[in-house]
Amino acid sequence: MEGVVAWLVITLIKILVILGIVLGIGAYLTLVERKVAAHIQRRPGPMVVGWHGLLQPLADGLKLLTKEDLFPRYGNRFLYNLALVMALVPATLVFAVVPFGPEFEVFGIKVKPILTDVNIGLLLVFALGSMAVFAIALAGWASNSKYALIGSMRKAGIVVSYEVVITFAVMGPIILAGTLSTYDIVQKQIEQKLWYLWLQPIAFVVYMFAMLAETGRVPFDIQEAEAELVTGFTVEYGGMKFGLFPLVEWYIEVLSLSAIAVVLFLGGWSPINIPFLGFVDPLFFLGPLSPFVWFILKVSLLFLFVLWLHWTLPRYRIDQVTETAWKVMLPLTLVNLVLTAVVAPLIWR
Amino acid sequence: MIQWLVFLLFSAIAFLSALGVVLLSNPVYVILSLLSVLVSIAGIFFVAGAELVGALQLIIYAVAVTVFYVFVLTAVPWEKALKKDSHYRVAGVLSFPVVLLLYIEMVLVFLIGVSVSPKGEFREFIKQFGNAEVVGGILFSKYFLAFELVSLVLLIGMIGAVIIGRKEAQTYEDNPS
Repeated sequence: MEGVVAWLVITLIKILVILGIVLGIGAYLTLVERKVAAHIQRRPGPMVVGWHGLLQPLADGLKLLTKEDLFPRYGNRFLYNLALVMALVPATLVFAVVPFGPEFEVFGIKVKPILTDVNIGLLLVFALGSMAVFAIALAGWASNSKYALIGSMRKAGIVVSYEVVITFAVMGPIILAGTLSTYDIVQKQIEQKLWYLWLQPIAFVVYMFAMLAETGRVPFDIQEAEAELVTGFTVEYGGMKFGLFPLVEWYIEVLSLSAIAVVLFLGGWSPINIPFLGFVDPLFFLGPLSPFVWFILKVSLLFLFVLWLHWTLPRYRIDQVTETAWKVMLPLTLVNLVLTAVVAPLIWR
Repeated sequence: MIQWLVFLLFSAIAFLSALGVVLLSNPVYVILSLLSVLVSIAGIFFVAGAELVGALQLIIYAVAVTVFYVFVLTAVPWEKALKKDSHYRVAGVLSFPVVLLLYIEMVLVFLIGVSVSPKGEFREFIKQFGNAEVVGGILFSKYFLAFELVSLVLLIGMIGAVIIGRKEAQTYEDNPS
């Protein structure tokens, strides 16, 4: 009985911590994005609210929350609001299978910093990731607007094509690790003294492309091309409801997919890797905290990489986007699968 | 105990949404209740400990299949979606006996299947190896031939789709002489 209670308490704490981190950081990443974008374009960015604009997200939130709630006249209010829920819930649920660090002990209780270590964790990630399509299609349809509908159809087309690509891209690391559990994949990389990035460069590049496409980042943000579609499927949303879609797409999904990329290719919480020899840890002085710091460092590096691309590249046309998915990315991942099958026995030795 | 409660919850949701699929008139609501049925069935799989089957249910049925319905529906104009002439009431009443027969067949097959199913034979394996490994092992040993035949059917389907979908270099409309 005591075990059950302890388990419940620990799970509750984990859920609260994850939700707090994800939504809190999600809000603050808006500031990071604006600052990075500004410095890429040689501007100072937000400077007025707080020191170097540090309180800007709070001001933005206040502004969005107090705005008038507009609604298109012939829209469907139930589906319009349901789309918001269906966008937010699967995106945050993905964090249930993201391992933040190794197992540790507090007050004699062993705690794994992962919400549910199911043995099919990765499949869940991609199932939940593709659920985003429904939110987008509903948002476009319920708004009863041509811009929104075209934007949502484009986005749905992109997500459907790249969901196939991303699933094939992660097959390589799965074959090398021999498991679908996110926690065990990191453990395997530490045991084999090898980040899978060194053996799966093709898969990593394809994964990053697919990640950009799924989260609607440049160069694949054709669904919200300002010049032709205003902002795509979010046109008819106002106030905080409008704020929620970019929050989910641009920040929460990028964070979750970066975390999964770190788990699959960059060895999760392990320090810098020299292939087959071992790990070098320049942060050893942090003691037991160092794995967590490494994980956060890697995820934020990937996030900054995405930002850098976003504010540097132009965007593709929709037919170019889907054609790349089916004609370039998918064959590449298949080639990668064959190569992995050849190389894998060397790793398992 | 908790397992039973969660199972009941999921089956209640599945049942209610299944009713919704049949009874609602707005096609978008119908698709959403279909989605809800499929997701709650995945939930039932998770409760039963069949995690792999649950995840596949989510990926294949709840996402891949339903997405294409959504694709079609979002292309339907708003005014047409709200018309109610899509319900064929007479045809529905006439087809009822056939549906009843099908249901009886399903129940029979289910009961026969339960009576010959290996009870608890795989539980040890699942504890030892995990879901995905056990399913893979069975697929590639006992049901290998069936598995390969099914993949052949899928390959044929894919080739057919490519042939239908490709652009013709020259069509009949270009030079209808």
